[in-house]
Amino acid sequence: SEMSKDLLPGPYPRTPEERAAAAKKYNMRVEDYEPYPDDGFGYGDYPKLPNKSLHERDPWYQWDQPDLRHNWGQPMHWDFDMYVRNRVDTSPTPVPWHTMRNHFLAFLGTMLIMFVLGEFYPSYRPVGPKQYPFNDLYLERGGDPNKEPPVVTHYEI
Amino acid sequence: MGAHLARRYLGDAETEPDPLQMPTFPPHLGLPERRPRVMVASAEQLAEARVPLEQRDFCAHHLLRLLRCRRDAFPLPWLCHELRHHWDSCQHHDYVMRMKEFERERRLLQRQKRLRQQEA
Repeated sequence: SEMSKDLLPGPYPRTPEERAAAAKKYNMRVEDYEPYPDDGFGYGDYPKLPNKSLHERDPWYQWDQPDLRHNWGQPMHWDFDMYVRNRVDTSPTPVPWHTMRNHFLAFLGTMLIMFVLGEFYPSYRPVGPKQYPFNDLYLERGGDPNKEPPVVTHYEI
Repeated sequence: MGAHLARRYLGDAETEPDPLQMPTFPPHLGLPERRPRVMVASAEQLAEARVPLEQRDFCAHHLLRLLRCRRDAFPLPWLCHELRHHWDSCQHHDYVMRMKEFERERRLLQRQKRLRQQEA
C-alpha cells in the first residue's frame, strides 16, 4: 500500500505551524508532541516518546493489537521493536535499584569471603586419613612396576 | 562437630593433629602389640572387577561379594541386603579406626607438649 508523502516522517519542525502539522500527522496533541533534538542523528520530526517498554502498558485494556499492546494509529516509539514484551523490560522494580544492588553485593561479598576463608582454614572431620592396602595402591595409582615402592603398612587400632 | 576446628584455628594448634600430616608418631609408640591390617582380596581380583580406586580399601572383599550377588540377583536388590550390611559394617569399623587414630595422634601431641613443658 503506497503512503502519500505527507504521511511519512519529514525534516525537523522549525516553526510552530510545522510542529502542529507534525503532531497532527502522528495523531498526537500539540502539547504532547516533542521531537528529538536536531543534533544530526537523523530523527527528523519523529516524536520522542517516553522510554517505557510494553510491559508497563495495561494488560487488561482491550488493545487493537493485544500482543503488541498497541492501538491503530497510536504513535510508535523509535525503539518499539526493542520494547516489545519478549525483549527489554523497563517496569519498575518493587525495591529501588541501589537497595537491590547493595543487597546483592553484600551477599556476593559474604559468599566470596567465606569461600576464601575456607581455602585457608578448611573444615574436616576429626578422623585420620583413609588407609589403603598394597603400599597405598602404588601400582594402581600409576607407580612404576620396575621400581621398589615405598613400603607402607597400616595397623589395626 | 566443630570443637576440633575451633581448637585448631582459634586455640593452640600444637595439640591438634593436622589430618594432612598424619601420622607423625611411630605406629608402635604406646601400643606394643599392634597387628598389621590384613587385606583379604587380592590386587588382581580388584583389577579384574574394575573396582574404583577409592573403594579398593581393606573392606574390598565384602564389596566383591556384594557386587557378585547384585549381578546374580538383578533386578531384585533386596536379596543382597545381608552382604550390603556386612560391607557397611566393615566400613563403619574402618571409620571408627580412623577416629581412634586421630584421637591417638591428639593424645600423643598433648603428651609431647606436656613433656616439653616439664623439661622447660
